[in-house]
Amino acid sequence: MIIDAHGHLGSWYAFAIPDSSTASLVRVMDQCGVSTMCVSHLLAIGPDAAAGNALLLDEIDRYPGRFLGYAVFDPHAPDARARTADLLTRPGIVGLKLHPDTHEYALDGPAYAPAFELAAEHDRLVLSHGMFGSPWCAPEHFATVAARYPSVELLMGHAALFPPGFPAAAAVANQHPNITLELCGSRTTARHIAWLITEVGAHRMAFGSDALFLDLRVGLGRIQLAPITQPDRNQLLTGTMTRLLNR
Amino acid sequence: MRVVDVNRIIGPVPTDDVPSKDAPGLLAELDRIAIDAACVVHSHDLYYDPTAMAELPVDPRLIRVPIVVPGPLGREAPADARLVRLCPSEHRFLLTGSHGLATARELAERDVTVLLALESPGSVHQLASSVPGLRIVLINTGYRALRELADLMDVHPQLRVDTATLCGHLSVEWVVRRYGAHRVLFGTGAPITDDAGPRYQLDHLELPADQVELIAGGNILELIG
Repeated sequence: MIIDAHGHLGSWYAFAIPDSSTASLVRVMDQCGVSTMCVSHLLAIGPDAAAGNALLLDEIDRYPGRFLGYAVFDPHAPDARARTADLLTRPGIVGLKLHPDTHEYALDGPAYAPAFELAAEHDRLVLSHGMFGSPWCAPEHFATVAARYPSVELLMGHAALFPPGFPAAAAVANQHPNITLELCGSRTTARHIAWLITEVGAHRMAFGSDALFLDLRVGLGRIQLAPITQPDRNQLLTGTMTRLLNR
Repeated sequence: MRVVDVNRIIGPVPTDDVPSKDAPGLLAELDRIAIDAACVVHSHDLYYDPTAMAELPVDPRLIRVPIVVPGPLGREAPADARLVRLCPSEHRFLLTGSHGLATARELAERDVTVLLALESPGSVHQLASSVPGLRIVLINTGYRALRELADLMDVHPQLRVDTATLCGHLSVEWVVRRYGAHRVLFGTGAPITDDAGPRYQLDHLELPADQVELIAGGNILELIG
């Protein structure tokens, strides 16, 4: 049973996704043994959180058992707190997705406070885009909010994305036990995965693919063929997210 | 199925300590993920002196890819080269300047295939238009460039693409269905980019086995004879 901690549904403006249907994603999941994918909707990350989150709920219903949802929290939306409070009660919604880089708003800024407060109140995960060097969501921003909300399990998306940022991501994870490094990214290699395991341990890391933004098979192959032990591989593919989802 | 990585670097790189810093290390990496052979650029040629052609141990699994630099301060392709790489960004020359076009015409006349990163789609279009006989494998395209790639591959049948970073959802299948499996080659860009992901993807493509075999190694082996 493989759980993908970081996936998406929908399409995206900045490049072509030849087949952005949820059916095509489920087909690829089946091909390579991914039982569950934790997803947000790209419409919600982009221009319309309310509409995108509604589509997310529809797709979760359409494919029972295959998707768990992150509702996107838009820090610019005046009604974000009320909408999010409602979404967190819906079946299949396991957490919140924050994208400070797209929303151009810092992860530790006050408009994100309701997101973390609601996550704490409902005992839900928070997955945030992470990006080394970003003015919005660099590892130091994660350190700030992890310390501010110690009961919230926080996934650092992409483990900071850029290889020069992996040491900073590892350092922040080691300092804050409620941070888990999520591993998708087009610049990450299997060798980087092995290095991160030596630095923080597989129990603090979770496989994510970024599909259908990226090809699920490429992200999964990076774990399946990484120079790591099988127990560590199992931990990345299943163990860490099982723990976070069942806590 | 014979698997040949068309896009690999051997030797130490400035940004990391990599197993492929020497030939035994690279061969062990290839063995670990079941790659039979690799077309390799030496890192000294890429990141130190592209005009010198660093020493490389002779091994039947390592296919040397010389660097070519156009112009009076450059380096021509060796007489026996079948596959070379042009690096206009790293080595700071104009791909479609007078020297670049002269080199491209010479390579086309000699039936030499060129590896070329997709950094400037406009320059690639100009090059392919000016020298339609030049066979080019676009490498390191990135997952965001599919529309630009289509702009190019629609009008230049001599263009091919590697899979190193063609990692958008089902992008490889889309390219194969539109342009044919003969125009897609397995590559990784390792160690700068990942080898494990593209290798796993190769085993899980939604394509017939004969097409996967072409992508895996058949196409490059035909190009280099």
